Amino acid sequence: MLSGLSLKIHEGEIVFILGTSGTGKSVLLKNLVGLLTPDEGEIWIDGVEVARFSEEEYLPIRKKCGMVFQHPALFDSLTIYENVAFGLRRHYQLDEDSIREKVDKALRLVHLHGIESKRPAQISYGMQKRVSLARTVALEPRILLFDEPTTGLDPVTTTAVNQLIQDLSRELKTTSIVVSHDMNCALTIADRIVVLDKGQIVEQGSPAELKRSTHPLVKDFLAEVLEA
Amino acid sequence: MMPLIVETLAGVFTPPFRRKEFFQQLYFVGNKSLFIIVFCVSFAAVVTILESSFHMKLVIQNDSMVPGFAALLILRELGAVVTALLLTSRVGAGYASEVGSMKITEQVDALKMLGIDPINFLVVPRFLACVLGGMMLTIIANMTCILSAMAVSQSVLGYTPAMFMTSMHRFVQFQDIIFATIKGGCFGAVIPLVACYYGLRCESGAEGVGRATTNTVVVASIAIIVIDFILSYTFSYLY
Repeated sequence: MLSGLSLKIHEGEIVFILGTSGTGKSVLLKNLVGLLTPDEGEIWIDGVEVARFSEEEYLPIRKKCGMVFQHPALFDSLTIYENVAFGLRRHYQLDEDSIREKVDKALRLVHLHGIESKRPAQISYGMQKRVSLARTVALEPRILLFDEPTTGLDPVTTTAVNQLIQDLSRELKTTSIVVSHDMNCALTIADRIVVLDKGQIVEQGSPAELKRSTHPLVKDFLAEVLEA
Repeated sequence: MMPLIVETLAGVFTPPFRRKEFFQQLYFVGNKSLFIIVFCVSFAAVVTILESSFHMKLVIQNDSMVPGFAALLILRELGAVVTALLLTSRVGAGYASEVGSMKITEQVDALKMLGIDPINFLVVPRFLACVLGGMMLTIIANMTCILSAMAVSQSVLGYTPAMFMTSMHRFVQFQDIIFATIKGGCFGAVIPLVACYYGLRCESGAEGVGRATTNTVVVASIAIIVIDFILSYTFSYLY
């Protein structure tokens, strides 16, 4: 799916990866954290080549990375509180008061409160997405990966989630990689935009540079923004 | 399938031990399957004893051996196999669709990202619950079958419970109960392994979940029949 792709992401950057469906954007993200294994090539994270790591070896890498999936991916059998606390219990030896404090803080960051005792099925899809974000940021990862975080959301929630991504990245000083179709949002909050087509990078640069691009796919994306 | 079996068996002895999930699954496998199993095996036992009587009378004009013969058939085959096939359709199908749904909604990937081994978290508690639940349900199913057969032999065939027990004693040995329990445990082990195997390989969409569920019921049922043959053949050397 990905071929001849070379991409370097700097610490603290917000990078948007744009492209049409099926171009390998989600595959790229999943390769980074070992959820998929590349057939060939290298992946370096913090000076360590991780492409051939085993599940065990990936554990410390995944501890550094938080991923917000295309689906909310909340565990149906657990309450919202338990979902957000899930990773904290696994990674840290914390007492229940400290866990509660971290869960409250994470839910406040995504502007959710008073839903801790509910199950995922009892809240809206947009809220589930934000809980998913809270579960990820509760672990205070240094690298945040977002796989189409606004897909399936209404325009108001989309704007709120995009704002959250920017706020969280700046507030927590994380490196953020966002897979998206949303050029408008990318132009607003990205430090760098990478455009993928058929598994290859066809254009990359700052929002200002992208606006001057002559590549047809980039022009198509920009035309949609202008139309909107 | 082999890596899943090896990892699951390793997970049984590797911490963290998920007691809460294990007891939740044991409740799901045991308590929630109990009624349907008791209900179905009762009828299976009734049919077995009536058919045995009919054919024995037809061939040797006498059905005095029927209680013992039926009890032997129940303990050696019927109780364990019918229980396992019912568990496959109820628990196996449930597990395949549950794990399959978790796979396609990226919950399995989320587990990995949170540093949790999906096999240790999803498969091992289900495996242990099904092994233990399978053994317990087989014992209960066998007792239910014997009681049903005894009731029918008294009301329809005219054998008192004492006559039934005497005939049963002549045919049945203590090993039969032990072997039936072992069969229940082995059949119980097959169901979650097959279900989780197909669930974890589930392709996206409702069609993928449906296919995983169908494959689970088909493959687990075939595996149970084949394992039953292997175990019965092996146990025949131990009498």
